[in-house]
Amino acid sequence: MKRLVLRRREAAVRGGQPIAFVVGLVFALVVGAALLTISGDPVFDTYQRMWDRSFGTADTLSATFNRAVPLALAGLAVSIAATMGLWNIGAEGQIMFGATAATLVGRIGADWPSPVLIVAMLIGAALGGALWALGPGLAKAEIGVSEIITTLMLNEVAVRLIVYLQTGPWKDPDGFGFPQITVKPEGSQLGIIWERSHLGVLIALAVIAGFAWFVNRSVWGYELRIAGASAKTAAYAGISMRKKVLGVLVLSGAVAGFAGGVELTGTAARLNENISNGFGFAGIIVAALALMRPSGVALVAVFFGAVQVGGQSIQTLGVSPAVAGILQALILFGAIGAAVLSTYQVALVERKVVTP
Amino acid sequence: MTHPAVELDGIWKRFPGVIANAGAGLTVRPGTVHAVLGENGAGKTTLMNCLAGVYRPDEGHVRIDGRTMIFASPADALAAGIGMVHQEFRLVPTFTVAENVVLGAAPRVLDTAEIERQVGEVAARFGFQVEPDRPVWQLSMGERQRVEILKALWRDARVLILDEPTAVLTPQEAVELGDVLRRMVADGRSVIFISHKLDEVVSFCDEATVLRGGETVAASVPVADVDASELARLMVGDVAVEAVPIAVAMPGDPALTVDNLSVRDARGLVAVDGVSFDVRSGEIVGIAGVAGNGQRALTDAIAGLEPVEAGTVTVMRTDVTNAPPQRRFAAGLAYVPEDRLGVGLAPKLPVTENAVMREFRTLRRGPLLNWASARAFCDRIVERFEVKIGKRDAPLAGLSGGNLQRLLLGRELSGKPDVVVASQPTRGLDVAGVRAIQRLIVQQRDEGTGVLMVSEDLDELLSLADRILVMNAGRIVGEFNAREATRTQIGEAMMGTTAEASA
Repeated sequence: MKRLVLRRREAAVRGGQPIAFVVGLVFALVVGAALLTISGDPVFDTYQRMWDRSFGTADTLSATFNRAVPLALAGLAVSIAATMGLWNIGAEGQIMFGATAATLVGRIGADWPSPVLIVAMLIGAALGGALWALGPGLAKAEIGVSEIITTLMLNEVAVRLIVYLQTGPWKDPDGFGFPQITVKPEGSQLGIIWERSHLGVLIALAVIAGFAWFVNRSVWGYELRIAGASAKTAAYAGISMRKKVLGVLVLSGAVAGFAGGVELTGTAARLNENISNGFGFAGIIVAALALMRPSGVALVAVFFGAVQVGGQSIQTLGVSPAVAGILQALILFGAIGAAVLSTYQVALVERKVVTP
Repeated sequence: MTHPAVELDGIWKRFPGVIANAGAGLTVRPGTVHAVLGENGAGKTTLMNCLAGVYRPDEGHVRIDGRTMIFASPADALAAGIGMVHQEFRLVPTFTVAENVVLGAAPRVLDTAEIERQVGEVAARFGFQVEPDRPVWQLSMGERQRVEILKALWRDARVLILDEPTAVLTPQEAVELGDVLRRMVADGRSVIFISHKLDEVVSFCDEATVLRGGETVAASVPVADVDASELARLMVGDVAVEAVPIAVAMPGDPALTVDNLSVRDARGLVAVDGVSFDVRSGEIVGIAGVAGNGQRALTDAIAGLEPVEAGTVTVMRTDVTNAPPQRRFAAGLAYVPEDRLGVGLAPKLPVTENAVMREFRTLRRGPLLNWASARAFCDRIVERFEVKIGKRDAPLAGLSGGNLQRLLLGRELSGKPDVVVASQPTRGLDVAGVRAIQRLIVQQRDEGTGVLMVSEDLDELLSLADRILVMNAGRIVGEFNAREATRTQIGEAMMGTTAEASA
């Protein structure tokens, strides 16, 4: 008798992850083709469009890079918290409050020289995100309140805050009565480096690389690894779990807030409640696909951004938003399946073969 | 002709970079207790995991009652009558004994009373003392082990594998285990007994198979025909096994003073109850006692891992009662915790990062760690304490038990401590490892360090310690001069039957 089982690989397969990734992707495209056929959409044209609008041309590729920036930074934020086994579900709110803080700096320093203004806004964004995560961090470190609940709930608070600013103190006087915030100052726009890609692409890469380097080399990073490994070992080594929990959540918030600042200065015209656009939640998926390794988020974010951009583009071909959504989900499922298959194997095993 | 109950033939099992079994074999006759002996890393557990369906051998055959079997999972092995009791118990603490026993094999509708009756019946048949309706969290380690054995027997296992079963037992409980094993083999079942304690093998087992370096070096030796030193020689090869030489202790001033110390455990119960003693420079003070009588809370509180409820801890005249662990280390206190992998080391992190766990604060360069110094520091420990490591940057988890302990002890001794608190420092180590660790501890004492050593191995304490304190229910109930005390005297104090100090 034979049966299929999923079992943990005794050893990692060399180069297994890329292979599994391709297999997962092919699987998703095949299932997607069946779906498109059923819905009466042209399979080849749809895939062609997805490719063209995500990677196909310099123009679309540079736009995909822009999309990847907030995804990568949000993914980095989530994976930073995950090093301590913490879940920052509030990157969404931290992005929003980071962008809010950057907007505040922009309103104060509207006539500062552009580089100074941008740097000040980005620092403000990081501080804002850190502040937004400070409450959950203190609650977790001091009395053990679940950071999953607190960070998630603060997302809604951030939305309300922006809506209040939109309709109240920061309402655009030239908005013809529309509830919108004044457009960001001219000097706050990040420069373009290639086609449509803005400087935020390089900034995000530098932040990710800098963080990975710092964690590997610093005493702080060393303490973080011990604390992440075991609370008891950390106590033994004299490392305060309280400080590490607080530090990691605040840093996670700062990175997410920074993402909000980059999004505001790079892509958005003004602050609104959609500035985060789901990036905070998508960051959780990005971090998971990168196997919670900070160094992996950049690559995953580009892939994820391409799936998003490509998936949206096919709606102009007449593919229904529902089918487009399913296609995006299929591709992500394929990629996640690939991550599973690089640690587990499906095996056809014999069961108790008996010979006389 | 009857077939062997178990026949493992030419088993090979390779892991990345390691060959765990290189053609190992084992033949167990029905109705016998069969010892599998070998040092840590000899391949005992891997071989047993091949038999119990945890691993599939790369090559070789598994035959049960003469039939070749290929197990895809432990469940398959269990269905074929192979049950294994692992070193770490797999029980649900909040479930009762009976619920744990039937877990995974229970009928869809759970008739608690009926199941408790059945479990009680099986227990009675093999002479177990258990209460089927007691929740497991209330049980001692020895009682939990009986629940694990019952799990296998309830599934009618014909062959029971016990992986170092006596490590968690008191001497009395070990004797009781021996009785249970006798009843099982009298019933026609077979027992495979993994151990490296030779005296147990001699008293419990009929035959012994010795593994070394993944190969079988002696198969099915009748235990009655060989003496313990012969088995020891087979296990370790040509390494001479000799007792650790002990010079006469020259105790000096108190290095560690514990005064009226009380500690509560995580559940808020009093674990250490008004304990006072000194450890002087140049002496080894042993703490004897049945596991779970406050030893762990005592050493954790001395090391700063457990808050002190009342009393004081003084290291070299510095009061460290409320100091964090790193301040105590700086004051001269080294600690080898009982749970090496869960407390003293981080198995997923590289060897280097584990080696500098005490020193990293002195190895910083601004916000960065000076990795060159850290690696050099690690190399010094590895060299001086003869730790066998693979790559310095590889996770620690690949090291054998003895090498893990050498690294841990080496790290703790590198700070030139005045006091070493060592909890179960040799438990689970092979003969060579035990000797190496014991020698290091005695050497520390001879150099003038005060040593507090907790051990459940009475013979170890009697041979190494200068004084022995006995703990029972969180108190010190006896103090003995280790040169004059007998096992019986200490054993009685451990059980709380006599509370008179003699030294």
